Amino acid sequence: MPETTSTIIAFVCNWCSYAGADQAGGLRLDYPVNIKLVRVMCSGRVDPQFVMDSFRKGADGVMILGCHPGDCHYRNGNIKAMKRSILLEQMLPTFGIDPKRFRLDWVAAGEAERFKEVVTEMSETIKNIGPLHLKGFVESEVA
Amino acid sequence: MTVMQKKSLLFLCKCGANISNFVDLDRIADWASKAGHIDLAESHNLLCSPDGKKFFQETLKQKKPDTVVVAACSPKMHEKTFQELAESVDVNMSYIQMANIREHCAWVTQDKNEATIKSIELINAAAKRSFEAEPLKKMTMAVNTDMVVIGGGIAGIEAALSAAKADRKVYLVEKEISLGGAVIKTEDIAPSMECSPCLLAPRLSAVRNNPNITVITNAEVNEVKGFYGNFTVKIHKKARYVEESCIGCESCFEVCPVDVKSAFHLNMGTEKAVYTLFPGSVPAAAAIHKESCLHFVDNSCNACMEACPFGSINFNQKDEDIEVTAGAIIIATGFAAGDIAGIKNLKYGAIENVYTTSEFERMVCSNGPSKGELKLKNGEKPEKIAVIHCAGSMREDGLPYCSGICCVEAAKVGMLVRKQLPDVQIVNIYQELVFPNPRDFSFYKQQCEAGTHFLKSDNISSVLLSEEKERIRITALGIDPVEVDLVVLSTGLQPSESAKKLAEILNIDLEKDGFFKADHALLHATGASLDGIYIVGCAKGPVNVSDAVVTAHAAIGDALSKLVPGREIELEIMTACIDPDKCGGCKLCITVCPYKAISNNADKHISFVNEVICRGCGTCVAQCPSGAAKAKHFTDNQIYAEIGGLIYA
Repeated sequence: MPETTSTIIAFVCNWCSYAGADQAGGLRLDYPVNIKLVRVMCSGRVDPQFVMDSFRKGADGVMILGCHPGDCHYRNGNIKAMKRSILLEQMLPTFGIDPKRFRLDWVAAGEAERFKEVVTEMSETIKNIGPLHLKGFVESEVA
Repeated sequence: MTVMQKKSLLFLCKCGANISNFVDLDRIADWASKAGHIDLAESHNLLCSPDGKKFFQETLKQKKPDTVVVAACSPKMHEKTFQELAESVDVNMSYIQMANIREHCAWVTQDKNEATIKSIELINAAAKRSFEAEPLKKMTMAVNTDMVVIGGGIAGIEAALSAAKADRKVYLVEKEISLGGAVIKTEDIAPSMECSPCLLAPRLSAVRNNPNITVITNAEVNEVKGFYGNFTVKIHKKARYVEESCIGCESCFEVCPVDVKSAFHLNMGTEKAVYTLFPGSVPAAAAIHKESCLHFVDNSCNACMEACPFGSINFNQKDEDIEVTAGAIIIATGFAAGDIAGIKNLKYGAIENVYTTSEFERMVCSNGPSKGELKLKNGEKPEKIAVIHCAGSMREDGLPYCSGICCVEAAKVGMLVRKQLPDVQIVNIYQELVFPNPRDFSFYKQQCEAGTHFLKSDNISSVLLSEEKERIRITALGIDPVEVDLVVLSTGLQPSESAKKLAEILNIDLEKDGFFKADHALLHATGASLDGIYIVGCAKGPVNVSDAVVTAHAAIGDALSKLVPGREIELEIMTACIDPDKCGGCKLCITVCPYKAISNNADKHISFVNEVICRGCGTCVAQCPSGAAKAKHFTDNQIYAEIGGLIYA
């Protein structure tokens, strides 16, 4: 599938990952345009419902990007995001969603290259899995 | 009923050619004109320029839009700029939404078509998000501008003096019976070899004479409530059984029949059951060791009371609980000498004439237990002395780190020895040498030239001490065995005993090594992990005297710049809040809040956010199962609208 027809929503924390994405722009690093960022103050702000809502509205992949563990601007919001993500990943198949469509990762403000790498990998993953047609539990893509 | 379609006013910034060369702004304008929910202002060459800002303000005044989308650079760059411009023309800042079409569109693809489509999606999402915005209100708070300094060593003293100079009331809390900390126990400060008591005495008298400083000794902080700008600090002051009228004349020392091991002399000498740490201490008043004093043991002695010319002895004195208020708290609790008791090879405490650097220095201090005379346990003069660097440091069973300031202290040993015994041979055994600045390094070179012999071992952890015919034999990997009369173990610095408890009381973080953690290691190195609390001197990690004073002055400078009498402090705008009607009182929010900003009202079974403490991370909002918690400007509705806007453009 062409990149432009798939959509990946990435929830990014204001302090590290959004700044990392800004720096990727500053360095004119090309990365797939289907990555669209939603800025939140902390990855700990990301309610798993945001992820589910993104899938429901048509996202083919969803990411949460936060500060590296130990570097959270709010002490440990990223760790809370990680704990919630573990549970979320286990729930996704129940909704007929391949857990690979979701990815939690860490990108620091200075890691423009890493931002590019992480989102490009995700874009490749989604390209390989193909589009997500949420049709409820019957035609689940998970065996 | 028909609902009026809200409209967002769109500003398109060309950013010179930075955006317009890579994104088709005409096509965006065309899309906007058909979108229905977008009202298009003209594009501008550079919206953040003086001309652009004026255009922005004038257009807002003229069009009075529902909301505004600024399609330009990153919000991290100019969101604040446009929010403030909007506020200046009476448009609430919450209605300003940026679409980052430069960093996230124009600059990250070569394909103008793709960049344009993504820009439209971002603008659409920004507009949809803006319709869900609720007005934000700037809040300010009156503050207390006084300060509590915990720890009366050199850093605490300098912090107190600096704050007092700016006419702030300072409460200087010290756990010992008088001020001075670690520095007052030393003779000279390397590398300048300035005399420590000479350095401190005038500072101590400045504290004593400063009406803004209240010195509270023999005391510990045991409870802190409140927050930045409004702390209430409870201090437990233990009875010393001597009133403040005592001038420290020592008349009572002569008559006291009890000798007690002196902690000030690191248990190497004795003091009386009624004692001061040193002559000229601040406060001057003596104190009584209750557990040893015969009056308390069996009521058999009142000698000190009878000898006191000022009637200052008061056996009935009680502990006191003192409550003070302050806007900032400065932690200057210093360090403890690295604990080497568990490192058997060093035979510390097992072989005579083995001392730590601090013990050695206390021994050669002119006011030390032997009045500064350097001698062996048998009374003889040593002929050869060894200094072991990194004793207990850089090893997992001791301190796993390098303290960075002990090498210069280890090099100082030779100099102190030569001052009274010029012919003694000195050998320093080391694995790594750390002299991190030019002054320390030249001090090291001077000691080499003056006769200190530096011997490099392959592994300092391999050092093994043993007794050898009344001498001490030292073996270590990579060196020939050495026989000496006295060994000085250069220990590292570990966190003070009070650090952990204090961190719990204040709800602030410690580093893995146990020292207090800075809010930001580079930009706010003297700030603790909570606003209004500062960490100075060795409380923040091992530092030398010079750096201890620098951190004290830095912290007070920062505190003075933020807590100004008559000026309210601006609070975080985008905090979380909890709707009392929706809150079920489950307290999950309390468990995830990193700042303990949320409390529970037990009577009403609801939780509420202290918006002064809240920093707006929104973690509680994600955790709240009933939708009662809300993150201002990052509400669920705003984020859902943004998600939809990105996908359905």
